[in-house]
Amino acid sequence: MSVDEKKQLRLCFVTIGATAAFNSLISACLEPRFLESLSGAGYTNLLIQYGKEGKAIFDKITSEIKTTKKMELVITGFDFNHSGLDKEMGAAKGGPNDLQGVVISHAGSGSILHALRISVPIIVVPNPDLLDNHQVELAEELESQGYVVHGKLNNLPAAILESEELRKRSLGWPPVNSGRHGRAADLAGVMDEEMGFLD
Amino acid sequence: MTPHTPLALITSYSFVLAVALVGILAITLRLLALFPSRRLPPPKRRIGTPTRLLIVLGSGGHTAEMLGALHGLDPRKYTHRTYVISSGDVFSTEKAAEFERSLELKDATKRLDQLIDMNEQMQERTGTGSYDIAIVPRARRIHQSLLSTPLSALRCLWACFNILMAPSNTTTVSLAGRWRAELYDYPDLIVTNGPATAVIVILASLILRFFDIKGANSRGKMRTIYVESWARVKRLSLSGRLLVRIVDRFLVQWERLQGVGERGEYLGVFAR
Repeated sequence: MSVDEKKQLRLCFVTIGATAAFNSLISACLEPRFLESLSGAGYTNLLIQYGKEGKAIFDKITSEIKTTKKMELVITGFDFNHSGLDKEMGAAKGGPNDLQGVVISHAGSGSILHALRISVPIIVVPNPDLLDNHQVELAEELESQGYVVHGKLNNLPAAILESEELRKRSLGWPPVNSGRHGRAADLAGVMDEEMGFLD
Repeated sequence: MTPHTPLALITSYSFVLAVALVGILAITLRLLALFPSRRLPPPKRRIGTPTRLLIVLGSGGHTAEMLGALHGLDPRKYTHRTYVISSGDVFSTEKAAEFERSLELKDATKRLDQLIDMNEQMQERTGTGSYDIAIVPRARRIHQSLLSTPLSALRCLWACFNILMAPSNTTTVSLAGRWRAELYDYPDLIVTNGPATAVIVILASLILRFFDIKGANSRGKMRTIYVESWARVKRLSLSGRLLVRIVDRFLVQWERLQGVGERGEYLGVFAR
């Protein structure tokens, strides 16, 4: 499984977060139809952070893929990294010599903010198995404001296409004029008010 | 027919009811006095006054969001920081230490700039003060049986009392060499964005203020700022619903939550 030396790296990074299992996202990201759409869009690598309970399903599906078909896509995975996902998110954003990739995330706020901060397109897929699913509301709101693609488990190839539109738009984060007096909001200011630090 | 002996009198139904009513009234009045609307505005405070800030971190997203929102924190004002972390949460422990390193780096850069630019008056070197990381046992572990939950919740509450009383002598990291334990007792300010632990910490602070233990209330200690998670777009989290009327400031990060629970303040997005 060697990647052509001259071929530029283009990474799709999938993260299911640290707290809950999300096996349906792992299997959706390993479906043949999705892998073909990634290849078609010029992706060279697929990296999946599958969590504590996702290794079995990841290993099972990837071994089947390898036996049935020679993949052009390099598929790798890991469970979780306690020190954060800076490296992986950065790799999806791509270095100066790489093509820009994409992040697919469970709708955890940490990963969404991270992607917005380094401005790599992100596809947000809320976990339908979670009880209090406020993450759907977050995904819907952010999509309506043009910050993310709200991906559905049964139609991830479409989300890959939409993420290219997102890349062209590339809105900045945080919103520059969201705070008081049209400035960026500042928690330190509120804390100083509460403490009586008034200059 | 009820005999009119003293013992019978104090065990009589109406007497117990009267005592209970008076008790409830007293407790209610005391609680009302603790509520944010009755709290005195903060007295003016100068930079350099020993000020203890307590930051309650939660797992994953909560921690990243909280520390992101605190990016503008000035360690010359908040001279001691306590990070409250649930036991076993390695991610938050590492993030808190990383955050402290970033404060130090910023401070060092600032002082270097002042050295280079000699025209500018050299500021008094207050440094970045000190911090400690306080670990609390979880109020309830995942899959823990309901029977043992009250016990572990109590253990968590007890740990919170200890953490609020004073920064830990053993785990405090002093960055500027000015750490003296007697400078600090209760936190002056508690900031959180609503992990479950935050509810217990704030409950503990309320109990300390209720009984005004060591002047917890009369010295105006433990003011509270709650920042509802950015992930909450339309409805409050459980922690938010529990704390909305109790904390001194309740901040929301989506415009449509402005005025929620008659308290929500929308001042923009803090998450970054």
